Amino acid sequence: MFGVARVVFTMAVRYGPRLTRRAVLAAAGGVGVAGVLSGCSLFTPEEPALPPDPLEPLLASAHQLIARYQEAISAHPDLAPRLQPIQQAHEAHAEALQELIGRSPSPPGTGEAGSPPAPSPAAHPDDAAVLASLAELERAAAHQARLACLAAPAERTGLLGSITAARATHAEVLTWSD
Amino acid sequence: MVGLTKPVKPTPTESPATGRALTEPAQTEAPTGSPDPGSTAATAALTEALAAEYAAIFAYGPIGVKLDDELAEAAREAEAAHRARRDALILAFAADGVDPPAAEASYALPFEVTGAADALRLAVLVEERVAAVWRAALAASDGTTRAEALDALVDAALRAAGWRAAAGAAPATVPFPGTV
Repeated sequence: MFGVARVVFTMAVRYGPRLTRRAVLAAAGGVGVAGVLSGCSLFTPEEPALPPDPLEPLLASAHQLIARYQEAISAHPDLAPRLQPIQQAHEAHAEALQELIGRSPSPPGTGEAGSPPAPSPAAHPDDAAVLASLAELERAAAHQARLACLAAPAERTGLLGSITAARATHAEVLTWSD
Repeated sequence: MVGLTKPVKPTPTESPATGRALTEPAQTEAPTGSPDPGSTAATAALTEALAAEYAAIFAYGPIGVKLDDELAEAAREAEAAHRARRDALILAFAADGVDPPAAEASYALPFEVTGAADALRLAVLVEERVAAVWRAALAASDGTTRAEALDALVDAALRAAGWRAAAGAAPATVPFPGTV
């Protein structure tokens, strides 16, 4: 038993590298440099990077919205009773999306690098301007979620549908006058 | 829905209704429970959606009579929207060669609607129920059918928010429409 294990181990050590090198050479044969380069992955234990989850942009926009609401609440504390529940909804969405994506959380804010337009802080806009600006963001975010829902596999449609509807209702209530 | 896009003067609100019985006819829940012979998952889900639309149309009768002015107008618009969904569903069933389920003669309301507060509470429940069945239909559909289901979910969520606001509930929104 013990002997068998040792034999197997030894064989692996002895023949493993050779087999691998042969495989690489075979792969490279006729393919030139490209074949050799792609063969390198046989030596490196690292997994090739997984493609990003299609929900990553949606998660990023949830984080962006959370940040935007935080800015708005800080600058306009009088709006807090109205904005905080919406911000909390986006936090719940981010959590649910993260769970669905099933990867380690990317730090909030990293998503900011890409798409969204700069905050345009302007000269301390009034409440109405802040609400209008947030409503506009919510409309775009709802559209983004809608497209994600329509393209998603069945098991993801429920959450994405709810997020679409939530963002649409946010856009709506933000346009209501007090 | 236009009538609901503005918050209306808060009226006395009641604690959120918890009863889930809502305006269902005999059979309840279970998106796959529709005993429609040979039905696909999509047909089953759309059968549930149609049942919910029938019930919503019925419920807006007693709701509307207890509301005044712009709220009554909002109720009429909501009812018309549900009739439009119903008609679209019936056409879709017909296009698939499936006999659409018929509406019940009557639906048991979850509570008696004796005033405006009851009417608003029921309207919220109706829209939440409609949102839930359309949300369930998303997974069973694709293409244009899924897009229509999503639009229906969003519309119901918007109306539910409007009715919550009219009832003086804050916030008027919920984090996950269709799951409440």
